[in-house]
Amino acid sequence: MLQWSSRSPRHWHEFVNHEVCVTAGDQQRFEGRVFTVDPVSASVVLVSVQENECPSVRVILGHAVTDVQILRRGTEETERQMKSVFLPDRAQSLSAEELKSRRESVRLWLEKNRVPVTEDGEVLCVANALTISAPYRPGDCSSANEIILSRIQSLVESIPGAEQPSGQTHQ
Amino acid sequence: MKTPVSVLRLPRGPDPNSRGFDPSSPRFIALCPTSVPSSSSSSSDEEEQRLRAELRESFLRTLLLMTGKRVRFDMHEHVRVHARFGASDIDVLNLQVSDLETPLGVQREALLRCQDVIACSFEV
Repeated sequence: MLQWSSRSPRHWHEFVNHEVCVTAGDQQRFEGRVFTVDPVSASVVLVSVQENECPSVRVILGHAVTDVQILRRGTEETERQMKSVFLPDRAQSLSAEELKSRRESVRLWLEKNRVPVTEDGEVLCVANALTISAPYRPGDCSSANEIILSRIQSLVESIPGAEQPSGQTHQ
Repeated sequence: MKTPVSVLRLPRGPDPNSRGFDPSSPRFIALCPTSVPSSSSSSSDEEEQRLRAELRESFLRTLLLMTGKRVRFDMHEHVRVHARFGASDIDVLNLQVSDLETPLGVQREALLRCQDVIACSFEV
């Protein structure tokens, strides 16, 4: 039986969204629903499944995991509930018109600040190095270059006049 | 237990030009996986990469959620400490925390070795 940390990502992925019992080093047992398994350290992230309490998350470090047993299989509903704990609130549903005008205002603001920006469908491309996807908040900027990312993020954040939705996260 | 503890010994500072943790230290070399294990069949590489990326992204989101929160660390020999989570390094070998509550007092800043930690729990 292979050690947990030497398993493949495919094997780890089998456990995602299911309720498991993880046995750690000194006979400790942890139960919860698997959100993810870190491929670098094989750490298991469990989310508590109790309905009435606020959700708690437990990260069990990969080196300590000796056994993982599935107790109950998850469903699409449980997956959705679990993800809502982690993912930022993208439920701000803007209509196509609003998205377009927002994209336009962000593009104009960037151009005003002498930033080379082109429109590629629904995505704004900045200097071939950064993309901004809907709904064009600072948290929607994506780039491989940290310096460009932080510059553009602060620009988008400081756009005058536009309403900023609450609960943004930095990437 | 809230009295801050005066620093007894300053750790050696990080190299200003690197990630912050010494990559040539014997501990890092021993613990950090130099090659990533993958399945044998080459045709499913792309699928495996995709899964790996998906799993890692979710894990990074977990770390993001954990930042700034009061986390309980379960360590060996049933030791339990609370601290405010700061950051983890890229290979999840060290955890930077603030206000670590220990029997000696509160350590303002501390570095926890992941080999010592079994689990960390927090409320969302």
